[in-house]
Amino acid sequence: MSEDLTPIPPASCVVVSGGSRGLGLALVQDILGRGARVAAFARSVTPELAALAAEHPEEVYVEAVDITDVRAVEAFVRAAGNRLGPIDALVNNAAAGQDSLLVHTAPDRIASLIETNLTAPLLLTRAVLRRMLAGGRRGRIVMITSVCAQRGYSGLVVYAAAKGALEAAARTLAREMHGRALVNCVAPGFFASEMSSALGSEQLDTITRRTPSGRLVEPTDIVPLVRTLLFEDTNLNGQVLTVDGGSSI
Amino acid sequence: MSLLTRNDIRGLMAEVVAAQGKRLPDDDGALLRDIGFRSLDFSELALRVEDDIGHELNFDAPGLRQIASVGDVLEFLDSLQRM
Repeated sequence: MSEDLTPIPPASCVVVSGGSRGLGLALVQDILGRGARVAAFARSVTPELAALAAEHPEEVYVEAVDITDVRAVEAFVRAAGNRLGPIDALVNNAAAGQDSLLVHTAPDRIASLIETNLTAPLLLTRAVLRRMLAGGRRGRIVMITSVCAQRGYSGLVVYAAAKGALEAAARTLAREMHGRALVNCVAPGFFASEMSSALGSEQLDTITRRTPSGRLVEPTDIVPLVRTLLFEDTNLNGQVLTVDGGSSI
Repeated sequence: MSLLTRNDIRGLMAEVVAAQGKRLPDDDGALLRDIGFRSLDFSELALRVEDDIGHELNFDAPGLRQIASVGDVLEFLDSLQRM
């Protein structure tokens, strides 16, 4: 088979993990707004996501799926393809947070964090790529990682390890999928909402002051970059785009 | 192994503080920032308690951020070992 060196086409049918709230929901809405079809899952389907599916039954497919349930995830990808048509893109957004020192994190909690933040996204990526390749299609993969993968933050050792591994996997996959898939990461800094729930207002003010842009991250900062990676012809591949207001520079 | 009393935990805390050349105040209301008892000192104390009771005391950081006084430390570890 001769190599197709033309640009990889814009996404037409995108799987989004963790699509029920926050950034995931914002991504689902944006992808739909771009005229693409979107299949989203999360542990539970929020009323907002259910409403989108009800309003756009031909373009949106949603289900409650635990990302660590391998069989359920594979069944979701299969069902999404049958319902919406061939899948040609994935946004790996689902994640589980950590806020504990490594020495006080139980071994089974460590295993669970690795499973949710690394193993499960890799298996989802595998499932999507297998269907894409089997159908002779090319596509795009976006991993939502974290600034924690590049900078040290206390209390996030396992989370950081998983996100760093995901970034390494994305670079390797970009090379491995030579010409068949663009694979990139978007690494947000701390979201304002997450920070405000975990920290006091004094700590929040300090972090904001240390951020050159003066603003913590909002989903609206991330959505345009994911949109670009899914729909534009940029030739970006194997890269990590960090969105943190410059706090890590 | 049996649980530690609040006084046992206080004794271990005094050892951690003494290793830094300081003395643990008798007053439970003494503030950790005044003693210079930092989060990793708390970790060291928690691990010493674990050694004595024979099982791990795992916990998330948000609970730790509420701790301000010697009494808070004793209360936190005492509750944790009973969970």
